[in-house]
Amino acid sequence: MVLTWRAVVLAALGAVPVALWPVPGVVLVWALVVVGVCCLDVALAASPRQVALQRSVPTAVRLGTPVDSRLVVTNAARRRLRAVVRDAWPPSLAAEAHDAGRRAHDDPAAPVRAARHTVDLAPGDAVRLRTPLLPTRRGDRSAGPVTVRTLGPLRVAGRQASIPVGGRLRVLPEFTARRHLPSRLARLREMDGRAAVQVRGEGTEFDSLREYVVGDDVRSIDWRATARRGDVVVRTWRPERDRRVVVVLDTGRTSAARIGTVDDGAVNVGGTRLEASVEAALLLGTLADRAGDRVQVLAYDRAVRARVAGASGPRLLPAMADALAAVEPVLLETDWTGLVGQVRARVSQRSLVVLLTSLDPAAVETGLLPVIDGLAETHQVVVAAVSDAEVAALGAGRESVEDVYDAAAAARGDLDRSAVAAVLRRHGAEVVEALPDELAPRLADTYLALKAAGRL
Amino acid sequence: MSAPTTEATGTWTASATGDGTTFASRSRRRWRTVRWALLVLVSLAALVALLAVLRPPTSTTPYDTGNTRDDGSRALAQVLARQGVTVQQVDRVADAVAAAGPGTTLLVPPSPYLLAQQAEALAGTEADVVVADAGHDLLDAVSAGRIGRAERGTTPPTPVPPDCELPAAVAAGASLLEPGLEALSDGVTTCWPGRMSNTAALATTEQDGRTVTAVHDAAFLRNGDVLTEGNAALALHLLGQHRRLVWLVQDPGDLSATDLDAPSGPGSPGESAGLADLLPPWFGAVAWWALLVAVVAALWRVRRLGPLVAEDLPVVVPAAESTRGRGRLYRRARSRGHAAAGLRAAAAARVAHRLGLPRSADRATVVDAVVRATGGDPHTVTDLLYGPPPADDVALTELARRLDTLESEVHRP
Repeated sequence: MVLTWRAVVLAALGAVPVALWPVPGVVLVWALVVVGVCCLDVALAASPRQVALQRSVPTAVRLGTPVDSRLVVTNAARRRLRAVVRDAWPPSLAAEAHDAGRRAHDDPAAPVRAARHTVDLAPGDAVRLRTPLLPTRRGDRSAGPVTVRTLGPLRVAGRQASIPVGGRLRVLPEFTARRHLPSRLARLREMDGRAAVQVRGEGTEFDSLREYVVGDDVRSIDWRATARRGDVVVRTWRPERDRRVVVVLDTGRTSAARIGTVDDGAVNVGGTRLEASVEAALLLGTLADRAGDRVQVLAYDRAVRARVAGASGPRLLPAMADALAAVEPVLLETDWTGLVGQVRARVSQRSLVVLLTSLDPAAVETGLLPVIDGLAETHQVVVAAVSDAEVAALGAGRESVEDVYDAAAAARGDLDRSAVAAVLRRHGAEVVEALPDELAPRLADTYLALKAAGRL
Repeated sequence: MSAPTTEATGTWTASATGDGTTFASRSRRRWRTVRWALLVLVSLAALVALLAVLRPPTSTTPYDTGNTRDDGSRALAQVLARQGVTVQQVDRVADAVAAAGPGTTLLVPPSPYLLAQQAEALAGTEADVVVADAGHDLLDAVSAGRIGRAERGTTPPTPVPPDCELPAAVAAGASLLEPGLEALSDGVTTCWPGRMSNTAALATTEQDGRTVTAVHDAAFLRNGDVLTEGNAALALHLLGQHRRLVWLVQDPGDLSATDLDAPSGPGSPGESAGLADLLPPWFGAVAWWALLVAVVAALWRVRRLGPLVAEDLPVVVPAAESTRGRGRLYRRARSRGHAAAGLRAAAAARVAHRLGLPRSADRATVVDAVVRATGGDPHTVTDLLYGPPPADDVALTELARRLDTLESEVHRP
């Protein structure tokens, strides 16, 4: 049983007779009138449980992409259905219609207006309702129940029931870093067919012969072919293909740190370190796949949280996005020994192992440093770390004395991290540290550089 | 499954009709939820009702005819009623004045809240008046100044004979009532004189054709003392003179029969008192109705449209907290040396990186390179990068600014 504002108005109207004849009898009679009207309306309202509901929603959607939850409401009762239907979704999906498109629902105290629909259906009729959603957080989201509030003919009172209707939406990573992909692919193509001057080495393989043009290194002239064809011919090389790339995301406690609180207009402002790692992993994976390498992705803290192996070509990116969609930071210290064991179990020959983690000095000293030697012996290791945009902003503060002290602290932290990076480099690892937005392109550049140098 | 770069291809579809409950099952579930609370409420209500039934309707006001305690007067009122006297208890002076016509007795027990105007109103009645332990105002008014209060006497150690001709006093015989009244003029009969010459426990006088009797000690009305010596006989004689007895037990808030009592309308002086008379007559009913409307509004707002949908939020650790904490520690400890060293080392590392120096470069190499790059003074650069710690916060800020300037000069192509 529910009341509407009309019941309040009806009750408030009673003030007039009560004021005119201020005797208890009038109060009682009007109270009985209000109660009677409400009961009558409830009795005449359609049953909210005789409404057939069908909800359909895409199984997966990229973060920040508007999506609709569609609800078909069919009046299965013999009475007219006057109702308010609420299609409830978790807060991070809730959206409000706006002048231009829609915006996220950001006031937790206010109801989500766009999720409420007024329906008026004759018996047997159906209506299709559309609830706008705007995913603002990565991960799996289960829909809430559908609440049906039916009203009587007077719309004074009615009945209400919350019907559990299934519904599940997987919010995939946003992958904003894909805008860096075309330029990196162009660089990759440039590397193909380049004369072997700069790139000749271990990780390159013979590609083809072509005519000499001015500027080619004379050392790359193939004298036999030149003798055969009577024209000066040079050998060209291309980066070796079918190398293995293992991208490891550290989902331990350091990945829960909130970075990038500096608003740069992206949907995912104030995300965790893991968000930036996921972006970098997606870009690197896509790039390496296009370069012909075999990509594996692993998310690990003390157990494997996600794993992608064996996918390539157009299936790789969906597989990676799907696997990484539900990965959340865990408040545990990462088991680096176990992580190295996982990598060893998955790849035996020399591979590029990319560790997406942080350069927190204490965590690196106790966790990564003891095991990096074993890993760097067999593999090319790249340690990619997300630095904090807020700390970077602190380091530039000169406004007041407090700012200068904060800047000094930030400078000291930078020095500590550079020292750690230097130690890692001495152990044979490449270190990439960048702000959240820049990590993905920087890591891609490092990959291309390694590939060009034949160090894969 | 969908590619993240394209729109989703798969669709999740689920349908439902009703939540599998029926009216009966919902009623059962609701009944199971509320039955214990209901049981407790019903037991409480039953207990309260039982106590209310078992407890006789008595009052605790002194001299009240329904009060059975020692300071009440139920015993006397009951005996009077059995003797055929109609006892009418009133709690407002105006009611007492209205009820006390000729041929009735008006009893005024001790009334500490009685005002002078109310005393005048009581004196204006045509009934025989009995006042017990009355104040100056009342005594003065009802006896027209013939009876006055002496200073407080003491209860006599032994019963005192009445020593007067008043039938009531004669019937009562010896008494332990406290004397404290004195006759201020002729025509006043006094009984039970005190040890001091002119005091008495009872004084009576005829005035305007009615009898006014004052008893200094109100003990003869009380349940606890009514059986002492001749108190009962005195009380029955004094109060049983007429068929009707008006018994005033004044309410503390009673302002009737005074100027303070705002008349509710012309021609009806002494009607109900208080704030209610200043408000329109429908105000009370509408206020109660407004409360009812508020209840309806609460019922309207209390039912939300479906439950809240919960969502697991990740634990979020602000990463810059530790850096801020470190900065605050520097500040609190006024550790300018450490702060300056951090700024200088970071600046030197950046400059060295920019100038292509190895990390192992010593300070002389760095200074040389910087001087070559910027054309500055070697001493100044050395002092800036490796000088003594700043003396105060201003010097620290200045140092930070100069380091920035130096870096920008080096970085300038």
